[in-house]
Amino acid sequence: MKRNTLSLAASLAVSLLLPALGAHAQSAATDADLAQKVDKLSAELAALKAQVQASPAAAPAEPATVLTSYGEINYNRPSKKPENAQADVRRFVLGFQHRFDDKTKVVTELEVEHGVSSADDAGEVEVEQAFIEHQLMPGTALRAGLFLMPVGLLNENHEPTAFYGVERNFVETAIIPSTWREGGLQYVGSFDNGLTVQAGLSTTFDLSKWDATSTEGAESPLAAVHQEMSLAKARDVAVFGAANWRGIPGLLLGGSLFTSNATQGQAGFPSARITLWDLHARWTPQRWDLSALYTQGHISNTAELNAPLVGSATLIPERFEGWYVQTAYTAWTSGDQALSPFARYERYNTASRYADLGAGLTPDALPTERVFTVGANYKLNANVVVKLDLQRFKENKDNNRFDLGLGWSF
Amino acid sequence: MRMLLAPLAAAASLASTSAFAVDYLSAEQARRLIFPDADSFEPHDIALDASQMQALAANGVPARSARWPVQVAKRGGSTLGYVVVDEVIGKFELITYAVGLNADGTVRQVEVLSYRESHGHEIRLPAWRRQFIGKTGASPLRVGEDIANISGATLSCTHVTDGVRRIVAVLGLARRTGALS
Repeated sequence: MKRNTLSLAASLAVSLLLPALGAHAQSAATDADLAQKVDKLSAELAALKAQVQASPAAAPAEPATVLTSYGEINYNRPSKKPENAQADVRRFVLGFQHRFDDKTKVVTELEVEHGVSSADDAGEVEVEQAFIEHQLMPGTALRAGLFLMPVGLLNENHEPTAFYGVERNFVETAIIPSTWREGGLQYVGSFDNGLTVQAGLSTTFDLSKWDATSTEGAESPLAAVHQEMSLAKARDVAVFGAANWRGIPGLLLGGSLFTSNATQGQAGFPSARITLWDLHARWTPQRWDLSALYTQGHISNTAELNAPLVGSATLIPERFEGWYVQTAYTAWTSGDQALSPFARYERYNTASRYADLGAGLTPDALPTERVFTVGANYKLNANVVVKLDLQRFKENKDNNRFDLGLGWSF
Repeated sequence: MRMLLAPLAAAASLASTSAFAVDYLSAEQARRLIFPDADSFEPHDIALDASQMQALAANGVPARSARWPVQVAKRGGSTLGYVVVDEVIGKFELITYAVGLNADGTVRQVEVLSYRESHGHEIRLPAWRRQFIGKTGASPLRVGEDIANISGATLSCTHVTDGVRRIVAVLGLARRTGALS
């Protein structure tokens, strides 16, 4: 606003002075002519002043380019195996959004995981989002590029200030492979009845890279075959859709579906389809924050896919699934500070069924892990959160741990 | 002359477009929607002095600006209420909204003029905006207290709610000190 006012004043000065000088040079000009011109300019100036003053009160400047960042620094201490305690810059993300015009912007995020990324370190550098969003009309947009998949409660809202607990929940990590992104085209439409629909076509997984000698597939079947648009095999195209209804303030009811062939036409691999769906609900009456989610994934034709892998450590599951319920309550606030204890119970199974390979060859379904997490998020303000929690695992008790985390997001 | 006025006109139009992004409603449409019975709207600037701004800040509502342009809704010479158009940053982008207050200072209506965030268009829904009706300077006007959140658009909800709280406080102070009469 200050800049505009200054340029206005400069323009006015020029507008007023130059004609006056010109008039001085022209002997034909009379005082009456000049007075008329000054009157006219005064009227125009008053009209423009009124226009400028009609702007809102000291509104923040329109940000064309916005720098964004979030990060998580976590400490995990297994209670039975303190020698495995670990401190980690879990993720450090820098991004920007730049608006080209009223309708079009680019959204990007670049992420470094685990502090250092080199040939000798476990860290990764990843482009997490890189897409163009173009608004077709208010509430309706198209996205093209690398975007987060609209699935579950966490994947699109994965900043540490947006979820409870130091670590992301297991269901939306092991079953829904957050942060899950694909490349493609996405339609987003928000309707006056509270429904938001997202749908599109995208890249998908690559089942031909399943490593049966690794346990990665048992930790998260889809994370083991995701491509993250890194030289992604792109013969197969996925269809996805999500519907979320927020028609009642504080309530969210939604679901999503993703399906595609995923062996990418690779020699020696039969056609196989990956399908993942979820249903989720969140209700935030006053100080409560209650949420629940169920998700299930299927991979078709796994008997044929697994036949050459029999005897290996990790075969491809036919089904994987999980659910959780979570309750949080903001027990204390002071200004922007808030303390919110929470509890979460989740059950998940990364291989709840294997296709029949014949007696003695078909692996047993994995046991369903049950995790109970209790802890608290302390928000120093809307952008900075300190978290601590305790996690108890029913199946693999060695995983029981204490977690401490620091996170930010802006 | 025409050429010389061109930068001046450009400066003025820049000021109005950058400060007044309109997707859904213009400021004039919003105030007519909020006060359909008004036969006129009179511009009235509230100018807060330093002590008034300090008083607002002490009550936990920093005024952000000393000057607040208000449109006073009139009918037959009597005041029906007030409309303030304001902008806040949601998560990354500006949200333009209008708050209508009754003559007694209670919130009459909130309208969203422009919303450009990728998520959270639901703050436009009447059901969400209705939550503000009847709120006063004594109301908490906080997300998670008397205003329900929209999942996935927490910052937009919080910042618009903070903005409404600020406008209610500024106009409340102006009414008490006679600056609006």
